[in-house]
Amino acid sequence: MTGRRGGRPLVPAYLSTGGVARPSRTHLERLSVLTGSGERAPAELPAAQAALLEELEHGSLTVVEAAALLRLPVSAVLVLAADLIDRDLVLARAPIPPARRFDPDLLKRVADGLRDLKHP
Amino acid sequence: MIALPDLVVGGLAVGTLSAFALGGGLLRSRRHLAAQRAKTAALRAQLDGTSRVFTAEVEHLAARRVPAAARQAAHPHVAVPGPLNPQLAGSPLGSALEQVLKGLHAELAAQRTRIDAAAQAGMRGATREIQAALYRMQDALRGLQQRYDDPELAQTLFELDHENEQSLRRAQIAAVVCGAWVGLAREESHLVDAVTGGQARLAGYQRVKVHNHLPAGTALVSHAVEPVAIIVAELLDNALRHSAPDTEVVVNLEAVHHGVCVTVDDAGLGMTQDERARAQRMVAGSEPILLTELGDPPRMGLAAVGQLTRQFDLGVDLSSPSPYGGVRAVLRVDSHLLTRIDPEELPPAASAPRSTRRAAVRDTANGSAAPGGTGPKAGAPAAEGSRPATAVPWDEPRLAATPQDEARPAATPQDEPRPTTAPWDEPYPAATPDHGHGYGTDQDDQSAAPPSDHHGPRDSGGLPQRRRRSRAAGQAGAPAPEAAPRRRPEEAAAALGALQSGTAAARSAAGPNTGAVPAVSDGAPAANTAGTAADDTGHDRNDDEGGTAR
Repeated sequence: MTGRRGGRPLVPAYLSTGGVARPSRTHLERLSVLTGSGERAPAELPAAQAALLEELEHGSLTVVEAAALLRLPVSAVLVLAADLIDRDLVLARAPIPPARRFDPDLLKRVADGLRDLKHP
Repeated sequence: MIALPDLVVGGLAVGTLSAFALGGGLLRSRRHLAAQRAKTAALRAQLDGTSRVFTAEVEHLAARRVPAAARQAAHPHVAVPGPLNPQLAGSPLGSALEQVLKGLHAELAAQRTRIDAAAQAGMRGATREIQAALYRMQDALRGLQQRYDDPELAQTLFELDHENEQSLRRAQIAAVVCGAWVGLAREESHLVDAVTGGQARLAGYQRVKVHNHLPAGTALVSHAVEPVAIIVAELLDNALRHSAPDTEVVVNLEAVHHGVCVTVDDAGLGMTQDERARAQRMVAGSEPILLTELGDPPRMGLAAVGQLTRQFDLGVDLSSPSPYGGVRAVLRVDSHLLTRIDPEELPPAASAPRSTRRAAVRDTANGSAAPGGTGPKAGAPAAEGSRPATAVPWDEPRLAATPQDEARPAATPQDEPRPTTAPWDEPYPAATPDHGHGYGTDQDDQSAAPPSDHHGPRDSGGLPQRRRRSRAAGQAGAPAPEAAPRRRPEEAAAALGALQSGTAAARSAAGPNTGAVPAVSDGAPAANTAGTAADDTGHDRNDDEGGTAR
């Protein structure tokens, strides 16, 4: 997966989904985490879905990571992932929200409160 | 006095005589003149006749024969009428008239070629510009596809990209028919990518089913990539166009002795004998292409295929009907246009169908204990009856002989008795030094691995891996890790070390009874001894090989 070469890709992205760009389920996002469910893939799985499943065999990936590995746009991977989820071959988890910085003022007040508890 | 009348009489007599004589001469000359006149009149009449015939002949030439000859230049089936007077055929006039026609014919043909060349040049220039513009458009569209993943927008972008590909195909075909270069330099690519890329350029590509029976990594040299994609697109276009929308078009990629064949079958109308012959003539590319002969609107597909097959030494055959009732088109890519790409390093596109052989490899890896990495001693544990049987699906000379292929380690046990004749192979002996490694030279750092091959398959599903190949093996036996926990080399080394010391102890205890084994173990590192001695099923061949390696 390392040797991505330059040049124009021979196979356009729309072929991976058969021209569909509207995923069957809409809750997936760029950072949704995909995990293979471990079930055996049926033989008649479309090539791109099989490729995505194969990537997930090595562990969980976010949608963008899978897109980069498969050299497909995120929109195509969303469709593929949604189809695989429909077939119960892949599990998806909502993206982990980025940790928010706590309000320093609040922290200071908590610290003060603790100190007050310690030294009444 | 008498003399005067005599003289007069004499004179009169002479005069009369001379008058008679002159009269006779006059009469004669009159007659002669009349005869001359008659002759002249006859000759004139004849001349008039001849000139009338000549005029009529020239008029006939102008009115009938020249137009027919001109038409014949464009339509060979038009017959040129002969001269009005059939007797003229052998005469100088007849042959002179024939010369006129011949000159006309030659000049017309020259003019036609010149005009066609001018038309082609004009079209070439125009399509070249259009093609470049469409490539820029493609870049823009793909950039947008990467950047935006809103489904509605992505749908539009996909549709635009597809439309763009179709326009691109038209422009490219027109350019190729007009003698231009295919217009795009590509790098070496997987053959299945070229076929899938060709498929993507068509409306109704969803009906195309590609079955890839090639060994993974079969690729095209750079200059053949785009031509193959174009040819496949044209053959598929014909197939899609001439078959019902609810039928499938089946593409099979198969390795043959001289290279690779791409077979396109449709379940459509099929072609009549005449159409088939014409199509075969077109795709053979032996005749120069004239735009005026391609019809209006010009049907360029087969002409372009012919042009490309001639330029790039490809072979297209349309002569056999398809078993599905439609047309079978076979594109043959000879082995000098083929190369190999390591599919692990550079996998084919995600949408390209995986090789059916790869599935076989995977099944084998799951089913029996033969993932990658068993290269060094793979020849030895042939006693496990299940392995040769499961390896049969990709029992192909070329596959077995290509050392880079992920299927190779498992295939190796089989290829010893088999001749390896595939033309573009890397030589099979490239794989054999590994045997040497396993036994003799690399034992310092790999002492654990080779003997473990004897034991691994019996007590666990996974095998220890040689480090050098671990990555490729990890990919190839991809489903295996979940199936059975893999043993690390260090663990194997520890286990075998224990075994080894045990057997060594036993052997030293029973030393005098066993003749051959101590002789080996004297000079060799302990691992080998373990390998040979602990192999209770008694592979004599291993011992022999071990001996030669040292």
